[in-house]
Amino acid sequence: MEPDLVRRQGALDRGLSWLIRGQRPSASHILLAPATLWLLAFLILPVASLLSLGFTHRGPYGAFEWVFTWDNFRRALDLKYLPILIRTVCYSGATTALCLVLGYPLAYFLSFQAGKRRDLYLALLMIPFWTSWLVAIYSWIIILGREGLLNGLLRALGLPPIAFLGTSFSVILGLVYFYLPFMVLPLYASLEKIPRSYVEAAHDLGAGNVEAFLKVTLPLSLPGVLAGCILTFIPCMGDFLCADFLGSPRTYLVGNLIQNQFLMAQDWQFGSALTSLLLVFLITGLYARHRFEEQGLFEESE
Amino acid sequence: MRSKGLQAYCFGLYAFLYAPLAVMVAFSFNTARRNVAWKGFTFQWYGALLRDAELARSVATTLELAVVASLMAAVMGMLAAYAMTRHAPFKGRGLYSALLNAPLMMPEIVMGVGLLSFFSRAGVPLNFWSLACAHALIALPFTTASIRARLLSLKESSLEDAAMDLGATEWEAFLQITLPLARPAIISGALLAFTVSFEDFVTSFFIAGIGIVTMPIKIYSMMKFGVTPEINALATCLLAITIGFLFIQRFLDARSRLN
Repeated sequence: MEPDLVRRQGALDRGLSWLIRGQRPSASHILLAPATLWLLAFLILPVASLLSLGFTHRGPYGAFEWVFTWDNFRRALDLKYLPILIRTVCYSGATTALCLVLGYPLAYFLSFQAGKRRDLYLALLMIPFWTSWLVAIYSWIIILGREGLLNGLLRALGLPPIAFLGTSFSVILGLVYFYLPFMVLPLYASLEKIPRSYVEAAHDLGAGNVEAFLKVTLPLSLPGVLAGCILTFIPCMGDFLCADFLGSPRTYLVGNLIQNQFLMAQDWQFGSALTSLLLVFLITGLYARHRFEEQGLFEESE
Repeated sequence: MRSKGLQAYCFGLYAFLYAPLAVMVAFSFNTARRNVAWKGFTFQWYGALLRDAELARSVATTLELAVVASLMAAVMGMLAAYAMTRHAPFKGRGLYSALLNAPLMMPEIVMGVGLLSFFSRAGVPLNFWSLACAHALIALPFTTASIRARLLSLKESSLEDAAMDLGATEWEAFLQITLPLARPAIISGALLAFTVSFEDFVTSFFIAGIGIVTMPIKIYSMMKFGVTPEINALATCLLAITIGFLFIQRFLDARSRLN
C-alpha cells in the first residue's frame, strides 16, 4: 500500500475511534445529529407551528393572516364547544379509572408469573395492542351493531334489542379496550420490581394479606399507577376514531372537532388552538412523569 | 393471593381482549354478506381481496413506507442509543431522552395536524418521502429503547475493553464486537419500527398526499363506505402478519438476552 493511503486510513480510523470514544461532547452531538434533526423537523417545528397558528387570525377562505388574536382560544372555551371539552375530559377520566380498576388485578397476577408462562401472558397482552385499531373498531361494530352479535344474543333470549352504537357506553368501551395494555404494562413493570421479601416481612410482622397489600404492595406500585394513568389519559384525550365509528355526533370528542377543523371546515387556526389545549395536558403529564420515577413503558415490558 | 378467583378474572379479561379478534377471524370465513348469523364456510372474501388491484397497490405502498421508515429509525436509533449509553454524559441528556420518548406519549392527532400545518406552511410536499420521514420519527422511540437496553448490557460485559487490550482500536472494537453483538437488538427494534409504520393510521391520514393510499387508509375508507366481510378477511391477514412479526421480534429479543 502506498504510504499516503496508509496515512489516510490511519486518520480515518483515528477519527472514527474519536467518535466512538466520545469523550468530547462534540462527538455525542455528531452521533445525535440525525435524531436531533428529525426531532426538530418532525416534532418541535410542527408543535411550534400549531402553537403559533392558534394565536393568529383566520383570513378569508382559511388564509393565514399573521395578526395576533386570542379569538381561537376564546372560541374553544365558549359555550358551544366547552361541553365537548368537558365530555372529552370525562370520557378520558372514566377510561383511565376503568383501565386502572380492571388492569391492576391483571398486572398483579402477571407479576407472580415467571419464565415461559409470563412471556406467553405478556405476548398475549401485546398482540391486541399491536393490532390495527381500525380493525378492532370494525369488530366492535360487528359485535355492538343494531343487528350485531350482542343484539342477536338478546333476541335469542327473547329480549328487545338495545342500540349500543352511538352511545357513550360503546365509545368508552372502545377506549378501554384500546388503552388497557397502556395501563397494564407500566403497572406490571412497577409491581414486578417489588421484592417479594418486603411482603413476606410484612407477613412476619403480623400483617394479613389485605394489610400487607395496602401497606406495602400498593404504595410501592404508585409510580406504575401514575405512569399508567398518564399513558392512558393523554392519548385518550386526542382519540377520534372511537367516537367516529362507535359513537355519534352526541358523543364527539375534541379529536373529532380537531379533525373536522383541519380536514373539513378548513379552520386551521381554531383547530390549532384546540390542539394546543391537548398539548397543555401532554406537557403537564410529561412534567409529572419526569418529577416522579422514570418508568419506560417498553423497556421494562420486555 | 394467587387464588383461582384472580386467575379466572384474568382469563376473563383476556377473553375481552380477544373477543373482537376472534369475531373478525370467524366472520372472514362466513358466506353471509351481513355479519349477523353464520351462513356457511367460504374463502370468497379472500378471493375478493386478491382480485382487488387498488388494495394490492396500497399494500405495496405500505410495505415500501415501512421498510424505508424502519431503516431510517434503526440507523438514527443506533447512533442516538450509542451516544446516550457510551459517551460521557452531556448536558441535558435527561431532557433529550424525554424528547426522544415524546412521540410515544403524544396523542397521534397532535402529530398529524402538527405535521400537516408545518408541511403546508413550510412548502414541504406531501409525498411518499415526507410521510416516510414522519413514520421514522414515530418509530424512533422503539428502536432507540431496544438498542439502548442491549448496549447497556454489553457495556457490563467489557468485551470491547478486552478487544482493545489485545490491540484493536476503538473503531475496530466497535465494528467487530459491539455491532455484531448489538445486531439482534437492532433488528428487533427495526421490526417494531416496521410494525409501527405498517399499522399507522392517524398520522398518515392527515399527511398522506392525494396519491398515497396506505392500507390502513384504505381500510378506513372501506369502513366509511359500509360493512363488508372483505374487511374481515383483510384484517385477518393483517393480524397474521402482526403476530408473525411479533414472534420473530420476541425470538430475537430472547436470543439477544441469552448470549
